[in-house]
Amino acid sequence: MFSLYKKEVQSYFCSPFAYVVSALFLMVFSLSFINGISNMDSNVMKFSFSNIFYNSFFYFIFLIPLLTMRTFAEERKSKTETLWLSAPITITQVVFAKFFAAATVFLLMMAFSLFFPLVAFLHGSVIGSSLVCGYLGFFLWSLVCIAIGVMISAMTDNPIIAAVLGEASMIVIVFLDNFTQSDLIQSLPPVAKVFTWFSTEARFGAFSQGLFSLADLVFFISITLVVLIWTIIIIEKRRWSRG
Amino acid sequence: MQSAIHILICCNDERGFAENMVEIKNLTKYYGTHPAVQDISFTVGDHEVLGFLGPNGAGKSTTMNMITGCLPSTSGTVLVDGHDIAKDPIAVKRKIGYLPEIPPVYPDMRVYDYLTFAAGLKGIPRTERKKQVAHAMERLHITDVQKRIIGNLSKGYRQRVGFAMALLGSPKFLILDEPTVGLDPTQVMEVRRLIQDLAQEHTIIFSTHILAEVTAVCERVVIINKGQIRAVDTIANLEASVGGDLHLRLKIEGEITKVTEIVRNTEGVLSVDDVEFDSQGINAFTVTVASESVRKPLMSRLIAEDCMVLEITSVKSSLEDVFVKLTAPTREQTREEAFEELGKEMDAQREAEEAAKNAAANADENEKEAKD
Repeated sequence: MFSLYKKEVQSYFCSPFAYVVSALFLMVFSLSFINGISNMDSNVMKFSFSNIFYNSFFYFIFLIPLLTMRTFAEERKSKTETLWLSAPITITQVVFAKFFAAATVFLLMMAFSLFFPLVAFLHGSVIGSSLVCGYLGFFLWSLVCIAIGVMISAMTDNPIIAAVLGEASMIVIVFLDNFTQSDLIQSLPPVAKVFTWFSTEARFGAFSQGLFSLADLVFFISITLVVLIWTIIIIEKRRWSRG
Repeated sequence: MQSAIHILICCNDERGFAENMVEIKNLTKYYGTHPAVQDISFTVGDHEVLGFLGPNGAGKSTTMNMITGCLPSTSGTVLVDGHDIAKDPIAVKRKIGYLPEIPPVYPDMRVYDYLTFAAGLKGIPRTERKKQVAHAMERLHITDVQKRIIGNLSKGYRQRVGFAMALLGSPKFLILDEPTVGLDPTQVMEVRRLIQDLAQEHTIIFSTHILAEVTAVCERVVIINKGQIRAVDTIANLEASVGGDLHLRLKIEGEITKVTEIVRNTEGVLSVDDVEFDSQGINAFTVTVASESVRKPLMSRLIAEDCMVLEITSVKSSLEDVFVKLTAPTREQTREEAFEELGKEMDAQREAEEAAKNAAANADENEKEAKD
């Protein structure tokens, strides 16, 4: 499993792919940083990084399907999946290896962005709790998105379709909270309650305020696991019905 | 005690198929309602090279995918060294090296990195990987391209990289799906030699639709068509089963229908299989006969009927005949009719030509008469 993980991480960096996505990520991050600094409330004089995440997560989330679109779709297209199908490893191992590889690349991208808090810390002050929780919350949220991206990639043999469907589901995730707040849903309390359970944005909001809650941590991790298990089932199912 | 017996057996008969390495029982695969493979059963002995033959789309790749565990079967079992693929897939996959039809290579990786990765994937301990990879590359003569990116290699090299991957971990059992497709003739020869070489240490199943390859490498063949087994036997037995009857090839001058009549009515001639146009008025007939002694009465009858026999040779039946016979049974039925039609057509054409000639000659004579 570790070999597969290593190869997957390497393959992101063997092509210009990871570099381009990281560059795009850092560009968005730096632009929001400039925006954040110029709009800073002069009374506080403390910079809260979670604002960057909270205000521009929209852009970050859309980078994730680009990272995950190739995971399974590409292998299916080029028929390289027989390599790990005939190797003495289970599909669970394959799914987790690919998921962790994508998560690692995303984590690296986030690590690059630590440059900005560092600069801000050297030349001013930073709200520590919201910085740490903001990063943590954002990473947990991205894990859910990566898992969904991997699952969608396993459904198709075309990376482009995987990317488009991935973006579409990201939109659903992002707007689920707004949808929950709408009058229509609010008029049906039981429905609203269910939607609120699955709304990731509110939970991320709590993290970005510097609030760490175990319930939210469990929520993100369990959603990730459920999606990954679906991925395993999808691949198994396809193995049975492949024509 | 048991192992002692095992050793004894192995010593007694090194290449004997004392135990069944692979046992395939009633293997069936449906894609929806379409049966791709139906009720296939055969066994492969230790250190045996088994040829898996069939026309395109016969279900060769599907069967191989099921044996390697890439594809679950609808019903039936595959036992590899006593392990069931459905119950203990990891144990089975450890014993198998699989080269699929399209080698599963990543185009953006380097040859060496790819093989090291595949070695890791196969669970070869870190300390042994380097040695194994070097050995596999040496066997396939790809050591000099190890630093190159696979996507830039030619198809032949890519095939060899895939082959090297299959050899990693020296699995007891090798499954090769059309290993020589896309290779040039020297490479094909090399791969055949390699397969023969590998048979010393491994049990091999390989599929192909090139018959010469099977005759060169295998002892035993499985022929399948439309997802069903047509034959499982040694090449010699199969050839004997079809080659029991002799074929003669005759070049005869004369009308096709007439010659066919004579040949067919000669005692000892079983059937007239084929007729080919050779040159004006001369045709080559392929005839199935009961024995060589038919030659004499056949010749004398033909000469008595004023048909010139220009050439007579005997044709040995080969695996090709077996293959054609087993994989195209529907064509065989209509063959006789088609043949008769062809003969009549050719005769009609000749008659028409002659008539035209006569007409022309008559016209000339008429002209002459008119002049006189």
